[in-house]
Amino acid sequence: MFRLCAIGLVLLAGWMVYLDAVVTSRFEGRRFEVPSRVYARPLELFDGASVSAGALERELSLSGFRKGDGRKSGSYQRTGNRFVISTRGFSFPDGDEPSRRISLMISGDRVQGFSVIEGDNAPIVRLEPAQIGGIYPAHKEDRVLVQLDEVPALLPTTLMAVEDRNFYDHFGIAPLSIGRAMLANIQAGRIVQGGSTLTQQLVKNFFLTREQTLVRKANEALMSVLLELHYEKDDILETYLNEVYLGQAGTRSIHGFGLASQFYFGESLKDLDVHQIALLVGMVKGPSYYNPRRHPERATERRNLVISEMEQAGLIEPGRASRARGLPLGVSERPSYSENRYPAYIDLVRRHLARDYKEEDLRSEGLRIFTTLNPAIQYAAEYAVTYTLPRLGGGQNAEALEATLVVTAKDSGEVLALVGGRDPQFAGFNRALDANRPIGSLIKPFIYLSALQEPERYTLTTPVLDKSFTLEFDDGKRWQPKNYDGEERGEVPLHKALSRSYNLPAVRVGLDIGVDRVQETLTAFGVDTPISRYPSMLLGSVSMSPVTVAQIYQGLATSGFNTPLRTIREVTDAGGEALSRYSLEVEQVADPAAVHLVQYAMQETMQEGTGRSAYYTVPEELSLAGKTGTTDDGRDSWFAGFSGDLLAVAWVGRDDNGPTSLTGASGALPVWSRFMAQVPQHGFSPVVPDGVSYHWVNSEQQALTDEYCDNARLLPYIAGSEPTQTISCSGTLERRIRGWFEGLFQ
Amino acid sequence: MIDRLSLRTALIATLLSVAGCASGPGGGIYVPIGSEPAKAPEPPRTSTDSEESEAPVWRKSEQPEVAPETREPARSSSPSYRETGDGLSPAALSLVREADQLLAQGNISGAIARLERAQRIAPRSAEVYFKLSEAYVAGNKLGSAEQFTLKGLSLAGSDIRLQRAGWLLLADIRRARGNVAGADQAEERAAAL
Repeated sequence: MFRLCAIGLVLLAGWMVYLDAVVTSRFEGRRFEVPSRVYARPLELFDGASVSAGALERELSLSGFRKGDGRKSGSYQRTGNRFVISTRGFSFPDGDEPSRRISLMISGDRVQGFSVIEGDNAPIVRLEPAQIGGIYPAHKEDRVLVQLDEVPALLPTTLMAVEDRNFYDHFGIAPLSIGRAMLANIQAGRIVQGGSTLTQQLVKNFFLTREQTLVRKANEALMSVLLELHYEKDDILETYLNEVYLGQAGTRSIHGFGLASQFYFGESLKDLDVHQIALLVGMVKGPSYYNPRRHPERATERRNLVISEMEQAGLIEPGRASRARGLPLGVSERPSYSENRYPAYIDLVRRHLARDYKEEDLRSEGLRIFTTLNPAIQYAAEYAVTYTLPRLGGGQNAEALEATLVVTAKDSGEVLALVGGRDPQFAGFNRALDANRPIGSLIKPFIYLSALQEPERYTLTTPVLDKSFTLEFDDGKRWQPKNYDGEERGEVPLHKALSRSYNLPAVRVGLDIGVDRVQETLTAFGVDTPISRYPSMLLGSVSMSPVTVAQIYQGLATSGFNTPLRTIREVTDAGGEALSRYSLEVEQVADPAAVHLVQYAMQETMQEGTGRSAYYTVPEELSLAGKTGTTDDGRDSWFAGFSGDLLAVAWVGRDDNGPTSLTGASGALPVWSRFMAQVPQHGFSPVVPDGVSYHWVNSEQQALTDEYCDNARLLPYIAGSEPTQTISCSGTLERRIRGWFEGLFQ
Repeated sequence: MIDRLSLRTALIATLLSVAGCASGPGGGIYVPIGSEPAKAPEPPRTSTDSEESEAPVWRKSEQPEVAPETREPARSSSPSYRETGDGLSPAALSLVREADQLLAQGNISGAIARLERAQRIAPRSAEVYFKLSEAYVAGNKLGSAEQFTLKGLSLAGSDIRLQRAGWLLLADIRRARGNVAGADQAEERAAAL
C-alpha cells in the first residue's frame, strides 16, 4: 500500500514537472500568433482630389466610419454633397496622422472647399486606410493585441465582477466556488454553473481541449496553480483579455477584446462606453449563444444583467447603469471588413511579400502591410467585368468566357485594382497572374517603336507594304502571314498600319529591323521570360500574363520609362517600425521621342482605328491611347491602353483555350471602356519631348502641306526626319478661305 | 563635387517656390456623370457653375440613345499633346515643403515618402521628379537620381526654366558618377536653351 502510494506520488510529481514545462514554455514563448493585416491605400483628401461623393461614402464605410453627426471620431455627416468627417487618427509608417475634423464639398467629382475644422491644420489629410485582408495563422485565430494599461479600467473590473470576484486573492483555483457550482450542478442534474476562475478559463482555452472530463478538470486545476506560481496576476489577466474567444467570422475566429471591439462596434477598445463593455463581458459566457447580431434579445438581456452586476459591485452609479440599460446594443451592421474581399489582389500582394518575408512570419508576427489597392478603382473594375461579360456574344459557349482586368497608376506603377475572373470574389485560379496567353497584336507598338528609334529609316509617314509574302525556313517549312480581314492594301503610312493593326506591314517592318531588336525592346520594357525568336512572334505568338502586359505597357504610357509594378508601399512590424519600403523607381528604356510617335498612333487607334468603338461607352472628351489584340479563332481577346492617369489591361477568353467569336475590339475593349467610363480621371495628353516637332503633312504623299488642306494631318516627327518636300493644297476653296481667316485673327 | 550638387539643387528649391504660386494641375478632368455603377446609384448631382466652365463635362443623360450597331462614333478630334507638364497644386507643394524640412534634418527616407505622396497627386509635374532626384542625391543614390532627373525632363516640355534646371542637375549628377562626356552633353543642352 505504501509502495503504491509512493509510486503514485512519483508519477504525480513527474506529471507535475511535465505540466509545469508545458505551462511555462507556452506562456514564456511567443504567446500569440498575430495575423498580418493588409491595408488599402489611404484616401488622400485635398482641394482638387478626384473622388465622387458615392466613392467617398463607400471609402468611409470600408474604413469603418459610421454615418452620424461627424463629431464623434470615426463618424461622418453628409448633407447633399457636403461632408463633415471626424477622422480617428492613424499611425502610418512615415508618421502619425492625427485625429481631425474636416469639412469638404464634392463637386464635379472633385474635392472643393477642403478645410480642417478641428485639429492640426493641413492642406492635405489621409483617411485611415481600409483593412482589406489578413494573413492568418493555420488555426485562423485573429486578434488585435492590447496591453492591460491601455484598456478602459472598467473592462477588467467588470470581467472580475462577473466571472471571478476573487481573482486577485485566489491561487488559481477557488475551491469554494467549485463546491458551489458542483452543488448547483448536482441539484440541476446537469452542468449549469462553472466555478472556473479566470486563470482556469485561460488554461482551458490555452492548453486544453473543450471536452469536460474529470482528468481534464484535474489537469486544468493543476496547471492553473502552476501558472499562478510562475506569473503575476496582471500578466495572467492581460493574457486572458487577448486570448478569450468572442466570436466567429467565417473560418476566422475572433479572439480577445481588442479585436472584438472592432468586430462588433467598429471602434477601438479604449473608446468603448459602459453598455458596450458590458455586452462584450457578457458574451464571454457564450459568444455564439449571445451573438448580438444574430440574437439581439438574448444579448440585450445578458448585457443588462452584466450592467446590474456592475452596479451592485459599485463600479458604476445607479443612474449611469439605468441609462446604459436603456441604450440599444449599438453593434455595427456587419463586421467592418469581410475576409478576402479582393482575393486576386491579395494573391499578388502575397507573391510580392514572398520575395522578402517568410510565410510563418506573415502568419504570426502581426505585420502591417500597406498596399496600393484603390477600393474605388477596384469597385469600378469589378463592375466593368461583371457587367460586360454576360453581354458579350462570344459564340455558343458564352458562359465559359472569363475575363481579367489589371489597372495601374500610369506614372507610379502602383497596381490599383486587379480582377482575376468573372466572379471577382472567387479565390481560385488567378488569371491576371497565371494565365499566360499569346498577346497577338499587343506586340505591334513594340515593333514600330523599335523601328521609330531609327528616325533616318522610319517615321510615322514612312510607307509600309501591306502585301502578302511567304517566308521559307531552313527546315523547308513555310510561313505565310495574313491580315485579319484577308485584304491587302498596298502601301500605307506607318501610323495607319499601326492604328488599323494590319498584320503584313508589322511583320515586314519587324523583319526589316530584325526580330532581335524587337526582342530587346520587349526585354527592356520588362518581359523577364525568354521570348521566341521565330518570326511568328511578330504577330504576338509570345505568351504573357495580363500583369506582364501591364508592366510592358507602362513604358509606352510614360514616354519610355519602365516603372516596376508595385502592390506594396511599406511593411511595418506590429509596433509600427518600418521593415521594408518599396519605393517608386523609374528607368529610361527607350527614346522618349520615339515613344511619343507610338503614342500618337495609339491615340489614332482610339479615334480612327481598331479601338474606336470605345467611344460608344466613353465620352469623346476623355482622350485615350491603346491597342487591341486578338489571337487565332478569338481564343484571346486583349485590350491594353491608358488615359492621363490610369493604365488598364483587359483580357477575355476561355480557360480551356477554346475558340470564341470575339476580337480584341468586341471582347476585351468593351470591358476596358466600361471601366474607363466609371472613373474620374485626366485624359491622355503627353508632353511633347525634346527634339520632337509637329508638322502639317499629307501622310499618304509624305509631304508637308498646309493646315487647311483636306487631307492634312498634324503629325509629330523627330527633328530632322520630317518630310522635306511640300505639296500644294488640293483642298476646297471654302476651306482655304476659312484657314486664311483663322490665320488672320489668331 | 557634392557642394556643387547641393548648390544646384538649391536652384531647384528657388524654382519651386516660384512654381508654387503658379498653377494647379492643368487640363480638365473627366467626370463620369450618371455612370456610377448600378450597385450604388448616385443621387442627382448639383454641380457648381464655376466647375462647369473650367472642365468640360459629359452628361450621359443628354446623349441620344443610339444602338451601337447603327452608328459609328464620329471622331473629329486628333491625337492630343501638350507643350508643358503640370504645375504643383497647393497640396502637393505642402508635401514638397515637408520633404524639404525632413531633408534638412537628414531624414532622407522620410523625405522620399513625402515626395512619393506628392508624386501620386501630381504625377505629371517635372518639379516633383527633380525633388526626388535631389533626395536621392542626398542619399548618395546617384543612379536613381539620374533617372528621376530624366523623368522630370521628359515632362518639362517647352518650359525653359525647368529645362535648364533639369539639364544642369543632370550634368552634376553625371559628373559625380564619373560620366564626364554625359555631363558635358547635358551642360551643352542647358547652355543652348
